[in-house]
Amino acid sequence: MNDSERDNSTAGREGTAASAAPCLLETRGLTKRFGALVASRAIDLQVRAGEIHAILGENGAGKSTLMKMLYGVYVPDEGELRMDGELAVLHPPAKARARGIGMVFQDFRLVPAMTVLDNIALSSSEGGWRMRRKALHRRILDVSAKYGLSVDPEAEVWQLDLGQRQRLEIVKVLLAHGTRIIIFDEPTSVLVPQEVVAFLEMLRRLRADGYGILLITHKIDEVMACADRATVLRSGAVTYAATREEGGLERESLIRAMMGDKELRAVVKARRGPGTEGVAAVIEAGAEASDVANGGEAPGRTRADHGSAALSPIGKTMLAVKGGLIRGNHGEVVLRELELELPRGAITGVAGISGNGQRELAETLFGLRELAGGTLTVGGRRLRGGVRAFMDAGVSFVSEDPLKESVIPGFSILEHMVLDGLAPQPKGTGIDWKAARTELDASEAAAALALASAERRADTLSGGNVQRMVLTRALLRRPDILIISYPSRGLDIGTTRTIQQQLVALAEQGTAVLLFSEDLGELFKLSDRLVVLAGQRLLGPYAPEDTDVRQIGERMLKGESA
Amino acid sequence: MKATAALATALPEGQAPRSPRWRPALRQTLIILAPFALFAIFLLANGVNPLLLYRAMFVSTFGDLYGFGEVLIKATPFVLTGLAAALPARAGMINVGGEGQLAIGALVSTGFAVFLLGGLPSWLGIPLMLLAGAVGGALWAGVVALLKVKGNLNETITSLLLNYVAAFTVGLFVHGLLKDPESFNWPFSPEINWTLRLPIIDGTRLHVGFVIAIVLALAVWYVLGRTRLGFRIRVLGGNRLAAERAGMNVSRMQLWVLIAAGALAGIAGMIEIAGIEGRLRPSTGVNYGYLGFLAAWMAWNKPLRLLLTAFVLGMISVAGNSLEIGSGLPSSSVHILMALVLFFLLGSGAGRKVKT
Repeated sequence: MNDSERDNSTAGREGTAASAAPCLLETRGLTKRFGALVASRAIDLQVRAGEIHAILGENGAGKSTLMKMLYGVYVPDEGELRMDGELAVLHPPAKARARGIGMVFQDFRLVPAMTVLDNIALSSSEGGWRMRRKALHRRILDVSAKYGLSVDPEAEVWQLDLGQRQRLEIVKVLLAHGTRIIIFDEPTSVLVPQEVVAFLEMLRRLRADGYGILLITHKIDEVMACADRATVLRSGAVTYAATREEGGLERESLIRAMMGDKELRAVVKARRGPGTEGVAAVIEAGAEASDVANGGEAPGRTRADHGSAALSPIGKTMLAVKGGLIRGNHGEVVLRELELELPRGAITGVAGISGNGQRELAETLFGLRELAGGTLTVGGRRLRGGVRAFMDAGVSFVSEDPLKESVIPGFSILEHMVLDGLAPQPKGTGIDWKAARTELDASEAAAALALASAERRADTLSGGNVQRMVLTRALLRRPDILIISYPSRGLDIGTTRTIQQQLVALAEQGTAVLLFSEDLGELFKLSDRLVVLAGQRLLGPYAPEDTDVRQIGERMLKGESA
Repeated sequence: MKATAALATALPEGQAPRSPRWRPALRQTLIILAPFALFAIFLLANGVNPLLLYRAMFVSTFGDLYGFGEVLIKATPFVLTGLAAALPARAGMINVGGEGQLAIGALVSTGFAVFLLGGLPSWLGIPLMLLAGAVGGALWAGVVALLKVKGNLNETITSLLLNYVAAFTVGLFVHGLLKDPESFNWPFSPEINWTLRLPIIDGTRLHVGFVIAIVLALAVWYVLGRTRLGFRIRVLGGNRLAAERAGMNVSRMQLWVLIAAGALAGIAGMIEIAGIEGRLRPSTGVNYGYLGFLAAWMAWNKPLRLLLTAFVLGMISVAGNSLEIGSGLPSSSVHILMALVLFFLLGSGAGRKVKT
C-alpha cells in the first residue's frame, strides 16, 4: 500500500539479506520456558527503522511472551537480543525504555483521577526533579498535532474514552526520551472503524519518521493495510515470516500460518424471519477479520436476503426496559430514556464506542446495578432485587472482564462451573463433584469450545481459555436471556467462530441474546437487530440489512442525527 | 503439589527438574530451624545457653503428662481465636478482633454463670455458659459486621479498635456490677460455682476445653472444605465480584461469617473462665486474640494446620515460663521467637506463591 515510502527493494527474510534500513533490534534463537511449557521457541526477529512489523498469532501462540521479552519484563532463557548490532540486556523494563523501546499496552497503565498532563509527567523523567508543566504542555500539543492524536493535556483521564486513552498512551511513549521502537499490543481492539482508519494513518506517519513499529494483532486486514513485514507465531515458534516486497503478505497464507491444520468452519446462521424458515446463510471465512479497517465497507455478509427491511419480530419480548435511567458509579447519568426489548430467539447486537454505557447497561440487566428510573420487566413481570432474582428469572451474564470478575484464584474449572453453570448436585451437606464432572464432560458446549481439563486451575489459564470457560458456563445454563459482553475479545479466529456458532445455536433454541461487541463485523454477522449506544441514548433498533458499518459507525460517533 | 510434580515428569518433553527432590524438604527444615537459630543469638547475647533452653522446652513439653497438658492448655484459646481469624480470612475479611470477642465472651459467660447458672447441674450449666460465651463474642463481632455491611467500614480497623473498647468494658464490669463483694476491692468477679468448672484430666491442669477447640477446628475444616456453604465462603474469599455475579448475597454472608467468628472467640473466653481462672479478671485472656491471629496466619488460615501452629505457639509460651525461671529474662521475650517464626513462614509462603 505504501511501498513507495521504503527505498530498498532487497529486504529479505530474517537473518539473510541485508536491508538498507538500519536494524534497530534483532533477536536470535530467543527462547522462553515456563516449566515444561515452551512459550517462545528459537525466535528470530528483526525490527527495522521505518518499518511496520506485524506479529500475528492465535491466543497462546506466544505473542505476549515474545513482546514481554522485548520490553524487558521477562529474561529470555536462551538466545540473544541485539540492539544496533550489539548484545543488549533489556530486563527490567526500565532498561528497555532507556534503550528506546516503548510499549502501548492493551490495558492502559494510567491514573484515572489525574489529568493527561500529570499522567505523562509521571512517566517522563526529564527536567530532573522539577516539573516543567508549561514546556510539557507544549510538547504534548506538538506531538499530538504532528501525529494527529488530538490529546487535550488538561482533560482528566477518567473522562476519556478508550480511544482517547490509547492516544494518550501513545503520546506518553513518544515523549519518553529516545524512543525508537514502539510495540503496540492489540491496539485496534478498542477503536471504532473511523478511529481504526486514523490509527493506521498515524502508524504510517510514525513509520515515515523512522520509528520501528511492532504491531501485535490478529486482525489480518490491518496487517494487509499497513504492514511491511509480518511474522506469524504458532505454539511459540515462528511459522511464517515474510515481507510485503516479496509479496508474502497474502491473506490466505497468513491465515493458514496462524491456524495450522485447524479447519475454519463458517458460521451458519439460519434466519427465521417470516417465509424464510430454514434458510441458512453462510458467512465466508475470508470475511472474518472485520472489514472495517479497509474503510468501512459493509462486511462480506452473504446472508440470505429475506426481503426488505422490517424488523420482523422474531418472538415475544423476554426482557423489556421502559423509560430507563441508568447512573454510573459517580451518580452521573449514563443512559437516559432507555427503551430496549429483547425478543425471544433473537440476537440483539449493541454497538458503541466503549465507555458509552455498555458496562452499566449490562450490569443493570443482570441486577448488579439498580435502574435509577423507569421499569424493567422480564417475561412481563417487573423485576427488582439483586443478581439472584435475575438469575432465577433466567438471565445469564458474561462480564466484559472475566479475569477480574469471574475467576477465583486457586479454584479449578470444575469448581467455577459448579458455582454458576452447572446446578450443584447436593450430596449430604456437600457437593457431588463426580456428578458435576460427568455432566461437564458430557456437555456439548464444553466440547465445542474445547474447554481445558476440568481440574486445571482457572487462574493459570490464558485469557482465551478463561473466555472459553465463562462462555461454556453461560451456555451450560441454557438461559432464557443471555447478556454477553465482548465474547470474542482477544480470541483467535477459530475460537471466535466456534463461539459465534454457539451463540447462534442458542438463539435458535429460543434464548434472547444481548450481544455487546466492539467488532462491527461480528455484530453485523450475528445480530438480528442492532442498537447503538451514543451520547447517553440507546438508538435503534435497526435491521442489519437496512444499514451498514459506515452508518452505524457514524451513529456511534455522532448519535442519531448522522 | 504432588500431582503437579508427577504431571511435570510425565510430560514427554518435560525439562530436567530444576531442583532435586530433597531441596524442598531442606527448605522447609531451614524455614523451621532458622528462627530458633536467630533467637539463639539473642539468647547468647543475654548470657543464656540456647541449647539448654531448647532442651528444657522440649522436655517440658513431651517429658511428662503435666507439661504436655500445660502446652495444650495454652494452645486451646489460640486454636479458637485462630479460627476466629481464619474463617473470615477464607471469606476475604480480616478479623483482628478475636481479642475483644474473647473478652466479651468471657464477660457474658461469667455474668450468666454468676447470676443465673450457679444452681444448675453441670450437664446443663456448662453448655448454657458456653452458649453465653458464644453469644457474647458473636454480639461483639456483630458490631463489626454491621458496621461493615451497613456502613461500609473496613472490618480490620473496626475490629481492632473494638478490642480496646472490649477491654475497658470488661474493666467497667469487674470494677462495678460484677465485682466480687469479698475481693477486698480487687477488680475481679466472684468465683463461678464449681458445677460450672470444666472437668479436668487427672494429674494435670488440662480441662476438656481443648477437646472443644479441636472439635470446633474440625467443624470449621469440614464446613469450609466439604459443604456447599463452605464452597460459597471460599468463592467469596477468592473473588468478591465473582461471588456477586454468581448470585450470592455477599453482605449477608459477610455478616454471618463475622458473627460465627465472634462466637468462636467468645467460646475461647468462656473456656478460659470455666477451665482455668474460675473468675473474670481484667487480665483474662489478654493477648490470646492476637496470638490466635498469628497462629491463623502461620497456618495459612487452614483449620487443621492451625491446630499445629497453635500447639507450637503454646509450646513457645510455656517455654517463656522456664526462660523466666531459669535465666531471669522476662517470659515475654519469647514473643521475639514467635515473631521470627511468623516472618520466616510468611516469607516462605510468598516464595511458594510465585512458583506455582
